[in-house]
Amino acid sequence: MADDSGTLTMSTENAALREALAAEHVAVWGYGVVGAGLGPTGRGRATDAETAHRDVRDQVTALLAERKANPVREQAAYELPFPVLSAVDAAALAVVLEDGTAAAWVRVLDQAVERTTRELAVGWLSGAEVRAVGWRGAAGKKPVTSALPGLPKK
Amino acid sequence: MSPTPPPAPPGFSRRTLLAASAAGLALFVAGCTSSSAAGPNAVTSKQENDLAAQVAVQRAVVAAYAAAGAADPALKTAVADLATQAEEQLAALRAAAPGARSSAAASTSPAAVGANARAWLRAQVKAAAASHATACLGQSGARAALLGSIAAGLRGQDVRLA
Repeated sequence: MADDSGTLTMSTENAALREALAAEHVAVWGYGVVGAGLGPTGRGRATDAETAHRDVRDQVTALLAERKANPVREQAAYELPFPVLSAVDAAALAVVLEDGTAAAWVRVLDQAVERTTRELAVGWLSGAEVRAVGWRGAAGKKPVTSALPGLPKK
Repeated sequence: MSPTPPPAPPGFSRRTLLAASAAGLALFVAGCTSSSAAGPNAVTSKQENDLAAQVAVQRAVVAAYAAAGAADPALKTAVADLATQAEEQLAALRAAAPGARSSAAASTSPAAVGANARAWLRAQVKAAAASHATACLGQSGARAALLGSIAAGLRGQDVRLA
Protein backbone atom coordinates (compact mmCIF):
# COMPACT_ATOMS: atom_id res chain seq x y z
CA MET A 1 0.00 0.00 0.00
CA ALA A 2 1.22 3.47 -0.71
CA ASP A 3 1.59 5.77 2.26
CA ASP A 4 -1.01 8.42 3.00
CA SER A 5 0.46 10.79 0.42
CA GLY A 6 0.48 8.15 -2.32
CA THR A 7 4.25 8.43 -2.54
CA LEU A 8 6.36 5.37 -3.24
CA THR A 9 8.92 4.74 -0.51
CA MET A 10 10.96 1.89 0.90
CA SER A 11 8.00 1.33 3.19
CA THR A 12 5.61 0.77 0.27
CA GLU A 13 8.18 -1.47 -1.41
CA ASN A 14 8.70 -3.58 1.71
CA ALA A 15 4.96 -3.89 2.27
CA ALA A 16 4.53 -5.19 -1.28
CA LEU A 17 7.45 -7.56 -0.81
CA ARG A 18 5.82 -8.93 2.34
CA GLU A 19 2.61 -9.55 0.35
CA ALA A 20 4.64 -11.30 -2.33
CA LEU A 21 6.40 -13.39 0.30
CA ALA A 22 3.02 -14.44 1.68
CA ALA A 23 1.98 -15.52 -1.82
CA GLU A 24 5.23 -17.47 -2.22
CA HIS A 25 4.58 -19.28 1.08
CA VAL A 26 1.17 -20.27 -0.30
CA ALA A 27 2.75 -21.49 -3.55
CA VAL A 28 5.33 -23.64 -1.74
CA TRP A 29 2.60 -25.18 0.38
CA GLY A 30 0.16 -25.51 -2.51
CA TYR A 31 2.58 -27.36 -4.77
CA GLY A 32 2.65 -30.14 -2.20
CA VAL A 33 -1.05 -30.60 -2.87
CA VAL A 34 -0.51 -30.25 -6.63
CA GLY A 35 2.16 -32.97 -6.59
CA ALA A 36 -0.07 -35.33 -4.63
CA GLY A 37 -2.92 -34.69 -7.06
CA LEU A 38 -0.82 -35.28 -10.15
CA GLY A 39 0.46 -38.69 -9.10
CA PRO A 40 3.90 -40.16 -9.82
CA THR A 41 4.00 -39.37 -13.55
CA GLY A 42 3.37 -35.65 -13.22
CA ARG A 43 4.98 -35.04 -9.87
CA GLY A 44 8.30 -33.94 -11.35
CA ARG A 45 6.86 -30.74 -12.80
CA ALA A 46 5.25 -29.89 -9.49
CA THR A 47 8.51 -30.52 -7.69
CA ASP A 48 10.38 -28.25 -10.10
CA ALA A 49 7.83 -25.48 -9.58
CA GLU A 50 7.91 -25.93 -5.81
CA THR A 51 11.69 -25.65 -5.88
CA ALA A 52 11.48 -22.45 -7.93
CA HIS A 53 9.04 -20.89 -5.45
CA ARG A 54 11.12 -22.09 -2.51
CA ASP A 55 14.15 -20.31 -3.97
CA VAL A 56 12.16 -17.10 -4.46
CA ARG A 57 10.73 -17.35 -0.97
CA ASP A 58 14.20 -17.73 0.54
CA GLN A 59 15.59 -14.78 -1.41
CA VAL A 60 12.70 -12.49 -0.44
CA THR A 61 12.92 -13.58 3.19
CA ALA A 62 16.64 -12.79 3.22
CA LEU A 63 16.07 -9.43 1.55
CA LEU A 64 13.40 -8.38 4.06
CA ALA A 65 15.45 -9.69 6.99
CA GLU A 66 18.48 -7.71 5.80
CA ARG A 67 16.28 -4.61 5.77
CA LYS A 68 14.86 -5.50 9.20
CA ALA A 69 11.47 -5.35 7.49
CA ASN A 70 9.69 -8.15 9.29
CA PRO A 71 9.40 -10.99 6.74
CA VAL A 72 6.09 -12.78 7.11
CA ARG A 73 6.13 -16.41 8.25
CA GLU A 74 4.31 -19.24 6.55
CA GLN A 75 0.99 -20.41 7.99
CA ALA A 76 0.62 -23.94 9.29
CA ALA A 77 -1.96 -24.67 6.60
CA TYR A 78 -4.10 -22.91 4.03
CA GLU A 79 -7.64 -23.42 2.84
CA LEU A 80 -7.84 -24.81 -0.68
CA PRO A 81 -9.98 -22.80 -3.12
CA PHE A 82 -11.56 -26.06 -4.39
CA PRO A 83 -11.16 -29.78 -3.78
CA VAL A 84 -8.23 -31.41 -5.60
CA LEU A 85 -9.60 -34.77 -6.70
CA SER A 86 -7.85 -35.32 -10.02
CA ALA A 87 -4.81 -34.41 -12.09
CA VAL A 88 -6.88 -31.72 -13.83
CA ASP A 89 -7.84 -30.23 -10.46
CA ALA A 90 -4.18 -30.28 -9.47
CA ALA A 91 -3.19 -28.41 -12.63
CA ALA A 92 -5.98 -25.91 -12.03
CA LEU A 93 -4.65 -25.36 -8.51
CA ALA A 94 -1.18 -24.77 -9.95
CA VAL A 95 -2.69 -22.09 -12.20
CA VAL A 96 -4.21 -20.42 -9.13
CA LEU A 97 -0.83 -20.52 -7.38
CA GLU A 98 1.07 -19.04 -10.32
CA ASP A 99 -1.56 -16.39 -11.04
CA GLY A 100 -1.53 -15.46 -7.35
CA THR A 101 2.21 -14.97 -7.26
CA ALA A 102 2.10 -13.10 -10.59
CA ALA A 103 -0.38 -10.62 -9.10
CA ALA A 104 1.86 -10.17 -6.10
CA TRP A 105 4.93 -9.48 -8.25
CA VAL A 106 3.04 -6.97 -10.38
CA ARG A 107 2.10 -5.29 -7.12
CA VAL A 108 5.78 -5.14 -6.18
CA LEU A 109 6.59 -3.51 -9.53
CA ASP A 110 3.85 -0.99 -8.84
CA GLN A 111 5.18 -0.16 -5.37
CA ALA A 112 8.96 -0.54 -5.68
CA VAL A 113 11.45 2.29 -5.49
CA GLU A 114 14.63 0.26 -6.00
CA ARG A 115 15.66 -0.70 -9.52
CA THR A 116 17.18 -3.93 -8.19
CA THR A 117 13.83 -4.89 -6.68
CA ARG A 118 12.09 -4.29 -10.00
CA GLU A 119 14.70 -6.48 -11.68
CA LEU A 120 13.96 -9.35 -9.30
CA ALA A 121 10.20 -8.83 -9.56
CA VAL A 122 10.03 -8.80 -13.36
CA GLY A 123 12.09 -11.99 -13.50
CA TRP A 124 9.93 -13.80 -10.98
CA LEU A 125 6.75 -12.52 -12.61
CA SER A 126 7.91 -13.94 -15.94
CA GLY A 127 8.79 -17.25 -14.30
CA ALA A 128 5.30 -17.49 -12.85
CA GLU A 129 3.65 -16.83 -16.22
CA VAL A 130 5.89 -19.31 -18.05
CA ARG A 131 4.92 -22.03 -15.56
CA ALA A 132 1.27 -20.97 -15.72
CA VAL A 133 1.19 -21.50 -19.49
CA GLY A 134 2.00 -25.18 -19.00
CA TRP A 135 -0.46 -25.63 -16.16
CA ARG A 136 -3.32 -23.91 -18.02
CA GLY A 137 -2.84 -26.39 -20.84
CA ALA A 138 -2.87 -29.32 -18.42
CA ALA A 139 -6.00 -27.92 -16.77
CA GLY A 140 -7.76 -27.57 -20.14
CA LYS A 141 -7.99 -23.79 -19.83
CA LYS A 142 -8.00 -21.62 -22.95
CA PRO A 143 -6.21 -19.52 -23.87
CA VAL A 144 -3.14 -20.90 -22.18
CA THR A 145 -1.40 -17.54 -22.33
CA SER A 146 -2.31 -14.28 -20.64
CA ALA A 147 -1.89 -10.88 -22.28
CA LEU A 148 -1.33 -9.07 -19.01
CA PRO A 149 -0.33 -11.53 -16.28
CA GLY A 150 -0.87 -10.31 -12.75
CA LEU A 151 -3.04 -7.36 -13.70
CA PRO A 152 -6.73 -7.31 -12.81
CA LYS A 153 -9.00 -8.38 -15.63
CA LYS A 154 -11.03 -5.52 -17.02
CA MET B 1 0.30 -30.15 5.67
CA SER B 2 -0.29 -29.95 9.38
CA PRO B 3 -1.66 -33.20 10.88
CA THR B 4 -3.88 -31.10 13.10
CA PRO B 5 -5.05 -28.15 11.10
CA PRO B 6 -5.44 -24.92 13.01
CA PRO B 7 -9.03 -24.03 13.85
CA ALA B 8 -9.36 -21.30 11.27
CA PRO B 9 -6.76 -21.50 8.50
CA PRO B 10 -6.42 -18.35 6.48
CA GLY B 11 -8.34 -18.18 3.25
CA PHE B 12 -6.21 -19.47 0.40
CA SER B 13 -7.49 -17.43 -2.46
CA ARG B 14 -9.28 -14.59 -0.79
CA ARG B 15 -6.71 -13.49 1.76
CA THR B 16 -3.36 -14.26 0.24
CA LEU B 17 -3.74 -14.52 -3.49
CA LEU B 18 -6.26 -11.92 -4.38
CA ALA B 19 -5.38 -9.22 -1.89
CA ALA B 20 -2.38 -8.08 -3.87
CA SER B 21 -4.20 -7.67 -7.14
CA ALA B 22 -7.15 -5.91 -5.57
CA ALA B 23 -5.30 -3.57 -3.27
CA GLY B 24 -3.57 -1.02 -5.38
CA LEU B 25 -3.84 -1.82 -9.03
CA ALA B 26 -7.07 -0.01 -9.72
CA LEU B 27 -4.90 2.79 -11.00
CA PHE B 28 -4.39 0.84 -14.21
CA VAL B 29 -8.01 1.28 -15.02
CA ALA B 30 -7.43 5.00 -14.85
CA GLY B 31 -4.67 4.75 -17.41
CA CYS B 32 -1.77 5.15 -14.99
CA THR B 33 -2.75 8.69 -14.17
CA SER B 34 -1.56 8.47 -10.58
CA SER B 35 2.06 8.28 -11.68
CA SER B 36 1.70 11.54 -13.54
CA ALA B 37 1.06 13.50 -10.39
CA ALA B 38 3.64 15.99 -9.25
CA GLY B 39 5.86 15.00 -6.34
CA PRO B 40 8.78 12.74 -5.58
CA ASN B 41 7.44 10.03 -7.89
CA ALA B 42 6.51 12.31 -10.76
CA VAL B 43 7.24 10.87 -14.17
CA THR B 44 10.25 12.38 -15.90
CA SER B 45 10.28 13.28 -19.56
CA LYS B 46 12.84 10.52 -20.11
CA GLN B 47 10.45 7.99 -18.61
CA GLU B 48 7.67 9.30 -20.85
CA ASN B 49 9.90 9.02 -23.90
CA ASP B 50 11.06 5.56 -22.91
CA LEU B 51 7.49 4.38 -22.48
CA ALA B 52 6.57 5.81 -25.87
CA ALA B 53 9.46 3.82 -27.35
CA GLN B 54 7.95 0.64 -25.92
CA VAL B 55 4.72 1.41 -27.77
CA ALA B 56 6.75 1.19 -30.96
CA VAL B 57 8.30 -2.10 -29.80
CA GLN B 58 4.84 -3.56 -29.18
CA ARG B 59 3.55 -2.21 -32.49
CA ALA B 60 6.35 -4.19 -34.13
CA VAL B 61 5.15 -7.34 -32.35
CA VAL B 62 1.64 -6.86 -33.73
CA ALA B 63 3.15 -6.32 -37.20
CA ALA B 64 5.27 -9.44 -36.77
CA TYR B 65 2.17 -11.56 -36.13
CA ALA B 66 0.61 -10.13 -39.30
CA ALA B 67 3.73 -10.78 -41.36
CA ALA B 68 4.22 -14.31 -40.05
CA GLY B 69 0.55 -15.05 -40.67
CA ALA B 70 0.79 -13.77 -44.22
CA ALA B 71 3.82 -15.97 -44.86
CA ASP B 72 2.27 -19.05 -43.26
CA PRO B 73 -1.55 -19.21 -43.23
CA ALA B 74 -1.59 -22.31 -41.01
CA LEU B 75 0.50 -20.48 -38.45
CA LYS B 76 -1.86 -17.51 -38.64
CA THR B 77 -4.73 -19.76 -37.57
CA ALA B 78 -2.70 -21.49 -34.88
CA VAL B 79 -1.58 -18.30 -33.18
CA ALA B 80 -4.66 -16.12 -33.70
CA ASP B 81 -5.22 -15.92 -29.95
CA LEU B 82 -1.66 -14.80 -29.38
CA ALA B 83 -1.99 -12.09 -32.03
CA THR B 84 -5.14 -10.85 -30.31
CA GLN B 85 -3.28 -10.71 -26.99
CA ALA B 86 -0.43 -8.77 -28.60
CA GLU B 87 -3.00 -6.20 -29.76
CA GLU B 88 -4.45 -6.08 -26.25
CA GLN B 89 -0.98 -5.38 -24.88
CA LEU B 90 -0.51 -2.62 -27.44
CA ALA B 91 -3.82 -1.03 -26.45
CA ALA B 92 -2.80 -1.06 -22.78
CA LEU B 93 0.53 0.56 -23.60
CA ARG B 94 -1.12 3.22 -25.75
CA ALA B 95 -3.50 4.03 -22.90
CA ALA B 96 -0.53 4.44 -20.57
CA ALA B 97 1.41 6.57 -23.07
CA PRO B 98 -1.18 8.74 -24.77
CA GLY B 99 1.57 10.99 -26.11
CA ALA B 100 3.15 8.21 -28.15
CA ARG B 101 2.94 8.72 -31.89
CA SER B 102 0.32 6.50 -33.48
CA SER B 103 1.99 6.01 -36.84
CA ALA B 104 1.69 2.56 -38.32
CA ALA B 105 4.59 0.17 -37.93
CA ALA B 106 6.68 -0.52 -41.00
CA SER B 107 5.36 -3.58 -42.78
CA THR B 108 7.53 -6.68 -42.91
CA SER B 109 8.06 -8.39 -46.24
CA PRO B 110 7.59 -12.17 -46.56
CA ALA B 111 11.27 -12.38 -47.51
CA ALA B 112 12.22 -10.93 -44.13
CA VAL B 113 10.12 -13.58 -42.41
CA GLY B 114 12.04 -16.36 -44.13
CA ALA B 115 11.24 -20.03 -44.55
CA ASN B 116 10.45 -20.74 -40.91
CA ALA B 117 7.81 -18.20 -39.98
CA ARG B 118 7.26 -19.65 -36.52
CA ALA B 119 10.93 -19.42 -35.57
CA TRP B 120 11.13 -15.90 -36.95
CA LEU B 121 8.01 -14.85 -35.05
CA ARG B 122 9.32 -16.42 -31.87
CA ALA B 123 12.53 -14.43 -32.16
CA GLN B 124 10.56 -11.19 -32.55
CA VAL B 125 8.40 -11.98 -29.50
CA LYS B 126 11.41 -12.94 -27.42
CA ALA B 127 13.27 -9.75 -28.32
CA ALA B 128 10.24 -7.61 -27.48
CA ALA B 129 9.84 -9.35 -24.10
CA ALA B 130 13.46 -8.57 -23.26
CA SER B 131 13.02 -4.96 -24.36
CA HIS B 132 9.92 -4.44 -22.20
CA ALA B 133 11.58 -6.10 -19.21
CA THR B 134 14.60 -3.83 -19.50
CA ALA B 135 12.44 -0.74 -19.96
CA CYS B 136 10.43 -1.72 -16.87
CA LEU B 137 13.50 -1.18 -14.70
CA GLY B 138 13.70 2.50 -15.57
CA GLN B 139 10.04 3.17 -14.84
CA SER B 140 8.12 3.27 -11.57
CA GLY B 141 4.59 2.75 -10.32
CA ALA B 142 1.91 1.67 -12.75
CA ARG B 143 4.16 2.06 -15.77
CA ALA B 144 6.73 -0.37 -14.37
CA ALA B 145 3.96 -2.81 -13.49
CA LEU B 146 2.45 -2.62 -16.97
CA LEU B 147 5.74 -3.14 -18.78
CA GLY B 148 6.66 -6.02 -16.47
CA SER B 149 3.30 -7.65 -17.06
CA ILE B 150 3.59 -7.33 -20.84
CA ALA B 151 7.13 -8.71 -20.74
CA ALA B 152 5.85 -11.72 -18.78
CA GLY B 153 2.93 -12.15 -21.18
CA LEU B 154 5.28 -12.23 -24.15
CA ARG B 155 7.53 -14.74 -22.41
CA GLY B 156 4.45 -16.92 -22.04
CA GLN B 157 3.81 -16.50 -25.77
CA ASP B 158 7.40 -17.55 -26.44
CA VAL B 159 6.67 -20.81 -24.61
CA ARG B 160 3.55 -21.36 -26.75
CA LEU B 161 5.50 -20.70 -29.93
CA ALA B 162 8.32 -23.12 -29.03
